[in-house]
Amino acid sequence: MVKMTLDHEIGCDDCYDQLHEFAELELQGKTPEKAMPSVKEHLERCGNCRQEYEALLKALESVAA
Amino acid sequence: MFNWFKKSNKNKKPSRSNEDWVEQLTPPPSEESISHLRIILVRGLKPALYKYVDRELDQFVEDTVQDALLKILDKVDTFRGESKFTTWAMKIAVREGLSELRRAKYKDISLNDLVANDDESGRDEINQMSFTDDQPGPDRATHEQMILQRVQKMIDEELTDKQKTAMNALMMHGIPIEVVADQMGTNRNALYKLVHDARLKMKDRLMAEGIDPDEMLNQL
Repeated sequence: MVKMTLDHEIGCDDCYDQLHEFAELELQGKTPEKAMPSVKEHLERCGNCRQEYEALLKALESVAA
Repeated sequence: MFNWFKKSNKNKKPSRSNEDWVEQLTPPPSEESISHLRIILVRGLKPALYKYVDRELDQFVEDTVQDALLKILDKVDTFRGESKFTTWAMKIAVREGLSELRRAKYKDISLNDLVANDDESGRDEINQMSFTDDQPGPDRATHEQMILQRVQKMIDEELTDKQKTAMNALMMHGIPIEVVADQMGTNRNALYKLVHDARLKMKDRLMAEGIDPDEMLNQL
């Protein structure tokens, strides 16, 4: 975790503000990590945000099915 | 064929645009829209949360959706349209559910107890850490212990008490960030930034001391 630390990282609030957009890009087969790299980086570092993201994807996939 | 098409769509709710959702959920909200959104959220949350809920999944999801709907209605005017409205609403419901589960799971954990226990055993844990899973030879073991002692010294010198408490709870004990934030009287975002500052300090100090963070402390 220490070695992955960047000088500038977004916090949980900024990640949350963009998470729905990030998830939708993912489900559309686009590349959210390129469009929103700071969100991707935060998800790699924050276990709670990553858990919420994974649950959100699961929920959206279930609704779309 | 045409009749079949008409029949198959007869029971399907018309899809709403983002504008429809916002308009119909803006006070006074339409009961029919709330009901429709509730169905969507329940359908999504059950498979998303089932692995975290020990029992009474249906009731837990119903309660979560009820609380989430209140938040969604409260902040519907903040939806900016970057996604489907239902994606945004689902995000709020997912956080509601997971937050509740985390708080319930850790409701009996006190950070003060962790600190008290760590005062007795924490340094031993650090001293017993090894860089790899393999048993090192005596020379390597001595070298590793020296580095670990230097790391402990860096932690003592570089981090504030708050940063030590937060990093200990989050990284050594795996307690969720919002639970730690609650107990430290702060919020999740501020705590993330506090820990980010701590990680930066540690990274800079490790580099300054010539210790490669790649070589060790992957778990910190």
